[in-house]
Amino acid sequence: MRRFFHIVAIPIRIVLNQFGDYNPNGMMYVLKENEKKVRKLVRKNPFTPVELVQPLMIRANEGDVLEVLFENKLPFQTGFHLEEADYDVMQSDGTDAGFNTSSLVKKGERKLYRFRLNHAGVYPFSDLGNPASGEKGSNSNGLFGALFVQKRGSWWTHPETGGTINSGPFADIHHPFLPSFREYGWLFHDEMETKDLTGNKPLDLMTGEERESTHAVNFRYEPLGNRKKLIEEGVVCPECEGEEVHHDSWVFGDPATPVLRGYKGDPAVIRVVHSGVKETHVFHYHVHQWLKDPVNQESEIVDAQSISPQSWYDVAPLYGLGSLQGSIGDAIVHCHLYPHFDVGMWGMNRVFDTLQDGSQCYPDGTRIKALKPLPDRPAPPKPTKEKPGFPNFIPGKVGFKAPRPPLGIVGGRGLTELERNAAIENPRPGAVFTDPCGFNPEAPVIEYRISAIELPLIYNRQGWNDPKGRIFVLDDDLESVLSGNKKPEPLVIHTPAGACVRILFTNRLPDVAGGDAFQLFTRTYEAGFHIHFMKFDVLVNDGANVGWNYDSSVLQGQTIQYEYYADVELKAWFYHDHLFAGHHQQHGVFGSGVIHPRFTAFLDSATGEPVIHGTEITAVHPLIPDYRDYSLFVHDFALLYNKDGRPIQPPDYPGSQDDPGVFGVNYTCEPLQFRLNGPADPAYSFSSFVNGDPYTPVFRCYQNDPLRIRLIQGAQEESHSFHIHGMRWKAERPDVETRYESQKHIGISESFTLETLATHDGDYLWSFATEEDIWNGLWGLIRSYGETQQDLIRLPDQPFVNASAEKPSPSLKIPPKADFLNSPAPEGAPLRKFRVAAFHVPVVYSQYGEHDPYAIVFAREEDMGAILRGEQTPEPLILRANAGDEVEISLTSYLTEDRFPFKDGIWPYPEIKEQAYYPPSLRISLHPQLVQYDVKTSSGENAGYNFEQTAGPGETITYRWYVDQPFGASCLWDMADLRNHRSLGTFGTFIAEPRGTESVHPYTLQGEESDSSVVLKHPFLPETREFVLTMFDGARLLNNIGELITDPADGLLDQDQLEEEEDLFDTYDQGSRGFNYRTERLVHRMKNDYQTADLFSSDVHGDPSTPLFEAYAGDPVTIRLTNPSERRRAHTFRIHGHYWNTDAMDLTSQVKSFDGHLITGHAADLKLHYGAGSYYGFSGDYLYRSGNIQWDIELGMWGLFRVYERWQKHLPPLGTKRNADHQL
Amino acid sequence: MLNQKNMTSNDRHEEGMIQLFTNHTGTKMLALTSSFPFFFIGTIRGVLDDYVMVFVETTNVAELENRVWNLHIHDIEVFYLEQEGWPTIPVLGENGGGG
Repeated sequence: MRRFFHIVAIPIRIVLNQFGDYNPNGMMYVLKENEKKVRKLVRKNPFTPVELVQPLMIRANEGDVLEVLFENKLPFQTGFHLEEADYDVMQSDGTDAGFNTSSLVKKGERKLYRFRLNHAGVYPFSDLGNPASGEKGSNSNGLFGALFVQKRGSWWTHPETGGTINSGPFADIHHPFLPSFREYGWLFHDEMETKDLTGNKPLDLMTGEERESTHAVNFRYEPLGNRKKLIEEGVVCPECEGEEVHHDSWVFGDPATPVLRGYKGDPAVIRVVHSGVKETHVFHYHVHQWLKDPVNQESEIVDAQSISPQSWYDVAPLYGLGSLQGSIGDAIVHCHLYPHFDVGMWGMNRVFDTLQDGSQCYPDGTRIKALKPLPDRPAPPKPTKEKPGFPNFIPGKVGFKAPRPPLGIVGGRGLTELERNAAIENPRPGAVFTDPCGFNPEAPVIEYRISAIELPLIYNRQGWNDPKGRIFVLDDDLESVLSGNKKPEPLVIHTPAGACVRILFTNRLPDVAGGDAFQLFTRTYEAGFHIHFMKFDVLVNDGANVGWNYDSSVLQGQTIQYEYYADVELKAWFYHDHLFAGHHQQHGVFGSGVIHPRFTAFLDSATGEPVIHGTEITAVHPLIPDYRDYSLFVHDFALLYNKDGRPIQPPDYPGSQDDPGVFGVNYTCEPLQFRLNGPADPAYSFSSFVNGDPYTPVFRCYQNDPLRIRLIQGAQEESHSFHIHGMRWKAERPDVETRYESQKHIGISESFTLETLATHDGDYLWSFATEEDIWNGLWGLIRSYGETQQDLIRLPDQPFVNASAEKPSPSLKIPPKADFLNSPAPEGAPLRKFRVAAFHVPVVYSQYGEHDPYAIVFAREEDMGAILRGEQTPEPLILRANAGDEVEISLTSYLTEDRFPFKDGIWPYPEIKEQAYYPPSLRISLHPQLVQYDVKTSSGENAGYNFEQTAGPGETITYRWYVDQPFGASCLWDMADLRNHRSLGTFGTFIAEPRGTESVHPYTLQGEESDSSVVLKHPFLPETREFVLTMFDGARLLNNIGELITDPADGLLDQDQLEEEEDLFDTYDQGSRGFNYRTERLVHRMKNDYQTADLFSSDVHGDPSTPLFEAYAGDPVTIRLTNPSERRRAHTFRIHGHYWNTDAMDLTSQVKSFDGHLITGHAADLKLHYGAGSYYGFSGDYLYRSGNIQWDIELGMWGLFRVYERWQKHLPPLGTKRNADHQL
Repeated sequence: MLNQKNMTSNDRHEEGMIQLFTNHTGTKMLALTSSFPFFFIGTIRGVLDDYVMVFVETTNVAELENRVWNLHIHDIEVFYLEQEGWPTIPVLGENGGGG
């Protein structure tokens, strides 16, 4: 079917909320039919949001041909770039890239784009005529939208009228065979220019400084600061503080942000899109859970999910609205990053239990818009006086804080008559309007008594401390924790599935948090226990204060009872306070519960005694394998002081959200600056011989014990990258077909269970591996024993394992060298040997002379001479081996002290927090992912009590790895000196190809193993072009006249940004970036101004310096994508006009055209569907690039994938095509 | 391939299974199936055509216990019949994590 839309890009004033915050320079896509109307409405309503002023959201069906007549009324060239679609890149890419004809549109002109929609899902669109970051860019100002592609045969209606709908964020979707569902478009965006009603930049009411940058949804945001003004001015709720009522509709009425409305049990899909430019957000939706991959029923269940710029996913809540238990009320939907949440990136899902025909009102008198029941579901009952339905049975008072729930608070009130009418048959504390445990009346009831308390927390042996630590603790442990007899740790309670869980939560926190260098005085006078994942009644049990719900928190000294149900085995369910979370969660107010398989028993790992809580326990089960259960909570914004009382990394002013403080893991940290004992060489920072065991968790197990590692981020704003060296796990635990990984990106409130084991005895390093994280102490060990330990019980079902043949004595002062290497491979595995050299050589990063004079590269020993003589261009090391191979790496260090730029190791740029003396190591190592090895000898770092695994100058270290699977791409990097080596390029990519693969050079078809572009030949598989992209950030480059380039500042297309904003760049944004030691910064391509729109054009500028990959239309192509570099800012990767399975090993995984949240250690294999040129095999230049407009693309993180139609002399065709009669 | 009774290998396999379960009426069984709820412990009540009727004491999900399940014999991937002298099937009870 052909669908046609006439879309116009217009300038528009965007009013973001009822307080009149607005973007004077907004831009939007709008349907031509609405253009005049929207302009008129905006003229008439300059200070209030106009419903039509939202990002354009349109719909079509799978298999449709979409035609867009695009008209540009903006003063610069723009385009309509549609992701996920198939199209002729010459005609419809919406860019001017490479040698393509431009498909941008000048002001006042029109162009017809044509697309084919070959798979269902979200097709985001945006402008690439103006790729600048900052307030003059088009994307941050609103020039984006989304096309929602439904299953073939679908149609859609307006949720209020049941009539037709041509655009808009909400629709009801229908299908002849499938259930109707509510569709909600939810477009996150960030960094939009915003003024307040007075035309000035909005101020933060608490600090008097500028407000946090705008984080919004669908051109709306609802900042705490605005609402707090009404409190301070006495308009509403004079006794309130602010944060605790931020989301309270009783006080303020409903927010300007989206309220997603439906009836209990309605099937629904939230189309979550990141249309913003910079931040990686975490989407969290109370009460509900969903499959991470909605087309794969074995996929992981999540209820919080990261999303990086220009990416998307569908959230289809399991069991429909209200989840299994049928909870009614308001479930908040928000970005879990507290500074974003605080500034307004939230909305609600409102689940009604009575019919809304437009005649009802909310308690504040606002009319409730009509909502048509879905046609294939029974209509809910009409409201009556006795049963008015949510929210009108709740005895609240408009202008004041929401009422407390009935029954739950110990000593609290009973039910009103209306509440009794609305209640379940047997209302009880924590289960009043929905019965979470009602499915299973026989369910065992497990009760935990938990308090929130304040106490000083000591983070390390150097005395870093949080004097105002706030944590959850079991009441039974109160005395022992407060007296110092028990080391505080995040509270993890363990429960078998099928249990009804009751929590008696007591708020023992001080009701005042005093001011200090980090934060301002705040009345944190109430607290709740908000949980994720479990089944509960949101009205009374949310531990929050949302919408027209009750405020289910308690005052100091009060106790409230909550009730939840765990219907099935779950991973760790996160909990935290939701009332003053922005103020104190980073002090430690987080914990988790783990729902284990039914019939599991929990034992103390040291004594074998039964336990109910702990971050390290042993779980035994009569049927399934017993396991060790470890929990790790990472957090940032840790507001710590040193032992002398000096605040560590305080913000510029108290109350600033600009990345205050440092980091913690389970309330501990082990900074590398303190681990320079013995030879004072960074190569031994992780060594327990030299520096002792870390203060951070050292988990313990026996060799081959199954491990379940519960990974959670407790606070507060940033991405982290978790690794365990020497272990790997399935990317999505319930699905054994997913790929192996040994790295996990995590954002706040996400929860992962990593199921793995220690294949050898020895010390396994775990870490949060971005440079700033690990430098500041986010690492520890898993110690695997080969012989019985007195204080570690054995798993009852595990066979006894003999001690390893050789083990160094812990009394040594430095790790000894191993006498021999145990082979990790089965006998007879082919041995592939690589001799690798690490040496200094200047690397030129671009045709504009950007270079790193101090670079250190890994290269094959045989290539070293040619590289040093300048005859061969260095690339990040690429090693390829086949599944079944054993690999022997002999690594030699040629490093010399005089070639390092900073002898004290204090890098002035790119910075990290808490710079300290850390002299460059002349030792080097190579750490791999995913391969199998003996961790004691071949992991590529000196961790714990393992043997020496680094090579000193002139020395050679040998590793043995077994490639047991064709797992594809993985990262390689040096672990000898993270601070002085990584920015200089000490990383690479390891690729495990299928057994029998031969790689040849694409031009000569002769043997070639180390190039980033090869052809893979195989006896049974199609010849395939393989392109390796090693994404990097954090590089320190000089320009062509030897001056330091300080990116992002030096690379901004709009230099005005620097004048407008102070402290624009976080530490983890610093550094230059690109692919494969190459970059193509757009500043070099800017002539007069960046709006000339030919920044990606090879006609104008020649081809970029970044790798140019070439193929013929239809050639099978695999992209091996890795990011072994260092910074904490997550990136998105995109290739125009192509898509692939999101998990290369899982053919049932969803098809998408991006790879999300790339961060240190990320690896992916992108097997392009239909090969080069995608479905239609169109030739032309396809951009590959980061999805981060701010600040990746302009800083050079892009390149070209050139697809030829006609044979080229230099590029022999693949396979059978070689023998055909080609026209050269 | 057909045998003298014109039965295929699959027919003989199914017939053997039916006979086995019939012979073990009253025996405690542990069975795994590929479909939800995947796992059953209970006592065989009898066999009806190619269905084995089991009084299920334990599955993954408490709500589905203490009732008769008719399991299609084809769908049983793995089973164990408790017999004298062989290991007993563990008695699984709600333990609240306490063992």
